[in-house]
Amino acid sequence: MFSEREILSVVEMLKNENLDVRTVTLGLNLLDCASDDIGRFTDNIYARITGAAKNLVKICDEVGDKYGIPVVNKRISVSPIAVAGAPFNAQQMLSVATTLNEAAGAARVDFIGGFSALVEKGIARADRALIEAMPEALTGTQRVCASVNVASTRAGINIDAVLLMGRTIKEAARLTADRDGLACAKLCVFANIPQDIPFMAGAYLGVGEADAVINVGVSGPGVVKKAIDRATASNPNLNLGQLSEIIKHTAYKVTRIGELIGREVAQRLGIKFGVVDLSLAPTPNVGDSVGEIFQSLGLASIGVPGSTVALALLNDAVKKGGAFASSKVGGLSGAFIPVSEDLNISQAAAQGHLSIEKLEAMTCVCSVGLDMVAIPGDTSEETLAAIIADEMAIGVINKKTTATRLIPVPGKKAGDHAFFGGLLGESIIMPVNNATGENRFLRRGGLIPSPIHSLVN
Amino acid sequence: MKKMIISVLGKDRPGIIAAVTRILFEQDCNIENVSQTILQNEFSGIFIAGVPKALSEADLHRHLNAGLAPMGLHVYEKRLSTDNGPQTDVDSEPFVVVTKGPDRKGLVASITAIMAAHRVNVTNLQAVFKGGDDPNANIMIYEVDIPSDANHQALRRDLREKALALSLDLSIQHKLIFEAINRV
Repeated sequence: MFSEREILSVVEMLKNENLDVRTVTLGLNLLDCASDDIGRFTDNIYARITGAAKNLVKICDEVGDKYGIPVVNKRISVSPIAVAGAPFNAQQMLSVATTLNEAAGAARVDFIGGFSALVEKGIARADRALIEAMPEALTGTQRVCASVNVASTRAGINIDAVLLMGRTIKEAARLTADRDGLACAKLCVFANIPQDIPFMAGAYLGVGEADAVINVGVSGPGVVKKAIDRATASNPNLNLGQLSEIIKHTAYKVTRIGELIGREVAQRLGIKFGVVDLSLAPTPNVGDSVGEIFQSLGLASIGVPGSTVALALLNDAVKKGGAFASSKVGGLSGAFIPVSEDLNISQAAAQGHLSIEKLEAMTCVCSVGLDMVAIPGDTSEETLAAIIADEMAIGVINKKTTATRLIPVPGKKAGDHAFFGGLLGESIIMPVNNATGENRFLRRGGLIPSPIHSLVN
Repeated sequence: MKKMIISVLGKDRPGIIAAVTRILFEQDCNIENVSQTILQNEFSGIFIAGVPKALSEADLHRHLNAGLAPMGLHVYEKRLSTDNGPQTDVDSEPFVVVTKGPDRKGLVASITAIMAAHRVNVTNLQAVFKGGDDPNANIMIYEVDIPSDANHQALRRDLREKALALSLDLSIQHKLIFEAINRV
């Protein structure tokens, strides 16, 4: 028997606080689809994906109905294509992307991740072919997401790969100039990429994973914000230690839901349950924003002084509550601050409260990084690469994941607006320091060695 | 020993349970289960007790009534049936149905009629109607067991249609979600 308060608080979270399961992501190993014949390989991966994911959407909807909690997105992540499709050239990689897109469509999922390469220490032939194919692949498909890991704490930072990604992002933007560089919104550059991210665009299935696995991404920035609002309304003098406890308790509740739904979907599909990713993932809707949490905590806006420490508090409390709630935590597990995907954050950028430099500082204390940041279209390849390299350094030195999803919006300059649509949202274009200048430091290329604290053995 | 179920009703005050249990103790009865609640200011208690064979039902009532009537309490007893009746042993899943919406007569009757038609057993109902149109002032929470072979889709559809007609906001969720969130 539950108390009235217990039941009504759950109903309230669902009806008015945008609580949902943000994504259930089916991870599929494609390594056993191997063939050096491109036709055979694409046939194999199409059969594998559509076979395994046949009931994914249906079962997610049924389980969502049973508990009254919508599973907003159903997605698929696959083995890194640069590994699974190692024999192929760039042209053939394009046909792999097309196959992935078709398979995702047949499975009725909105995104499929894993058009990926791991190049933190060196670029293999297939890695180069895949990266070369990326701009066209991301332009010609709707559902395929790509990621490239260019750095790790154990390997260092592959600046050659960073420079290559600067060029690749520019080309992807150019090919989708009519859509404000939309292709770049499906491309993440990582340091220390986890093998089990359920969230797009960074999801892929690591080579250390099983044949198939269900990973879940929970949501809940709205729930956290409302919990803070309720607590401060009843006691305006709450200190930050007390607020941290409130966030922790709320994260516990949110994570329990993800765990429950994920386990049931996995069990019904007959697939191993993987992890719950504890990230607070916003959408461009009012009341579903990470930025609004900063205001509830007492800051004028995300981006003003105090934002980094507020994010540190938030991120830590979310992890502590989530770690207790779930038996298996993984993925990114930290607050997301994607500029265009969070209405409040993009407004903070438009009002001048938030700069790229402050965003970068904030990524020192949360997961992801410079995420969905629209920058001027004339930003040079070298400057793009330099921004990426700075972000990678934060990840490598701090032994954490960082990433960039930068969109140099063709033909637009700082202060203009970019529109990506749907969950990808819209944003003002943020100014970049030395956008068009050269960068002789980066141009030297090579591998920045791994930091001394990587020598842990 | 035979089993009796005893129900006590009346205005709440200190000492009701003490009085009931003292009388039962004096008559050598053994209490097996007690549940009580207070609605507004009214006390309601249900006691299941083992009663000595020698004590007739009429005598038990006489003793209870003698002690409780002066406190303004009504008491009713019934021999506990050994027949389990319908509904037990039905394979079922626990769900929670919550409605919010403007108060009007017949809300509980309308919703439970649909549940009964689908063989859904209400195991616990909390309903508060403070009147008026504030949805948060008029809430029903049903904890129910839905037979596994019931037509869930039809049940949900019928409940939603009725809720719509009554301007109620209705949710139906498996009980596990409340356990997952509220219980460690």
